[in-house]
Amino acid sequence: MRREFLSVVRREYLRWVRVPIWVASFFVVPILYLALFGQAFDLNALFPSGAAGEFYVRRALLGAPNYFSYFAVGMAGFVTLSASLYAGTGVLFDKQLGIHQRTIATPAPRTALFAGTLTFRAFMAAWPAFLSLGLALLFTEIPGLVGLTVRSSVTALGIGEIVLAEILLALMFTALFLSFGYVLDRNEAYFGITSLLNLPILFTSNVLFPQSTMPPWLQNVTAYNPASLAVNVLRENLFATSGYPYPPEIYLLGLAAWAIALIGLALALSARALRTP
Amino acid sequence: MSDAIRTESLGKTYPGGTAAVRDVSLSVRSGEIFAFLGPNGAGKTTTISMLTTVLRPTAGRAEIDGFDVVEAPEQVRRVIGLVFQRSTADEVLTGQENLEIAAGLYGLSPGEARPRIREVLADLDLAGVADRRVRDYSGGMRRRLEIAVGIVHAPRTLFLDEPTLGLDPQGRAQFWQMIRGLRARQEMTIFLTTHYLDEADHLADRIAIIDRGTIVTTGTPAQLKDRLGGDGVRVLASRPEAGIVGVLESVPGVVAVEPAARDGSYRVRVAQSASIVPAIVRACDAAGIDLAAISTHPPSLDEVFLNATGREYRDAGESGENGAVRVAPGGR
Repeated sequence: MRREFLSVVRREYLRWVRVPIWVASFFVVPILYLALFGQAFDLNALFPSGAAGEFYVRRALLGAPNYFSYFAVGMAGFVTLSASLYAGTGVLFDKQLGIHQRTIATPAPRTALFAGTLTFRAFMAAWPAFLSLGLALLFTEIPGLVGLTVRSSVTALGIGEIVLAEILLALMFTALFLSFGYVLDRNEAYFGITSLLNLPILFTSNVLFPQSTMPPWLQNVTAYNPASLAVNVLRENLFATSGYPYPPEIYLLGLAAWAIALIGLALALSARALRTP
Repeated sequence: MSDAIRTESLGKTYPGGTAAVRDVSLSVRSGEIFAFLGPNGAGKTTTISMLTTVLRPTAGRAEIDGFDVVEAPEQVRRVIGLVFQRSTADEVLTGQENLEIAAGLYGLSPGEARPRIREVLADLDLAGVADRRVRDYSGGMRRRLEIAVGIVHAPRTLFLDEPTLGLDPQGRAQFWQMIRGLRARQEMTIFLTTHYLDEADHLADRIAIIDRGTIVTTGTPAQLKDRLGGDGVRVLASRPEAGIVGVLESVPGVVAVEPAARDGSYRVRVAQSASIVPAIVRACDAAGIDLAAISTHPPSLDEVFLNATGREYRDAGESGENGAVRVAPGGR
């Protein structure tokens, strides 16, 4: 099982590293979002300057000192979701090239095939989140740019919770979209379903916009969105705030419940698709 | 010699009632090269897919090295290698990397895989290009790499699905030589599907001919031809002659006369072609039939197929009625 699993992970890695544009996009996309979208859209400009304005900003952004900081942390969730959307494309292309058929004709356990791809793809979905946070922190050192400002008292436990939240978010969405790759045979169907899910997941979350600016019904949906739960864990640990109704551990629990449900669904779908017809 | 492959009444009916394979019973002895010959759509790929656990049979049973394909699919996968019709190697990886990953999927440790990969690369003349990406390989190199991937775990039985599809005659001849060498050096049973008559004739120890999902005859190439009862003579009149069949049948030594579908000629099966040609010429001359051509040839697998199915081999794959047949719901 271990050798088969490692072979799948190695193949995924080699395929990634051999396609320069794929590697480049991994680094460039977060930079573009942070440098263009994050810098261009400044909610602070809507509030009066001075202490009163800062109070309003912090209240609307649940403790974030400025919109860029709020957005940069949300970006961590956004890039993870975006990267996971492509998790099933490799399987889909493998089917069209006959590689999938050859792979399932080997004695490698189906769980090793699924877990190997999931591990690499989830890593590739989670890692850009940390890259994005690092870049946003670096922006504070660049004159003329707004950077990510975090509280000085971020704890080791808080960092652990942040890492765990990102890993859970990456695993659940990667597993789900990977299973779509196993189930579906046509590219059009795959990209149709990812488009159908991507925008609702994003826009019913507080990844890009504060929950307080949404209508009440949407706030209720947003509160249970897994992307919101993950980003809440990050923001609560990174910003000095008391605006969240629950501690980060509660959001982590909610996220874990989502992860169990979605990974379970993905396993069931994949097992069905990998069964000998 | 024990059986490497054994099937009993193996069948596959797809949902919707299309029966692709029906009642296939065969046995392949260890160390044999066995050809599964049939026109396009005859059921060859469906059969090989069931034998390699890629498809589940809906009737009968099949065993590979004593392992049942339905009850013990993992054990079957461990003892077989499979080479697909088309290239399935990962193009962005090198040949060596493709082999290492395949070895890993068969559970080989790096220590076990390294010498085996070296051996396979050398055996298939790929050692010099092992570090090149597959996308830079020629068609022949890709076919050899496919086989290398199929045998990297030293399987006891190798399945080849239409292995020379798309290769030119020279490439096919080289491939046959390579397969014979592999069988000798690696001591493996080889089961191949093909729709090339000459491939089965030159390469296989035994042949099963499949048509419309069922096996119509089995034997060594020589046995199959011997069953026709003699050589063949092709007779072509210079213009259509209504009474030619009767004239030909009246010649002593003629076993059977069959019209050849395409060019208006007749296939005459005879016991001894050398002595009968003058007799046929004399009989036609006496009946006022002007012959445009007459030639003799030893029996061919084309004639074996014609004899077994009543159809010419080249027509069988084009008729659109070969291969899968629909059966009544609940029937097989």
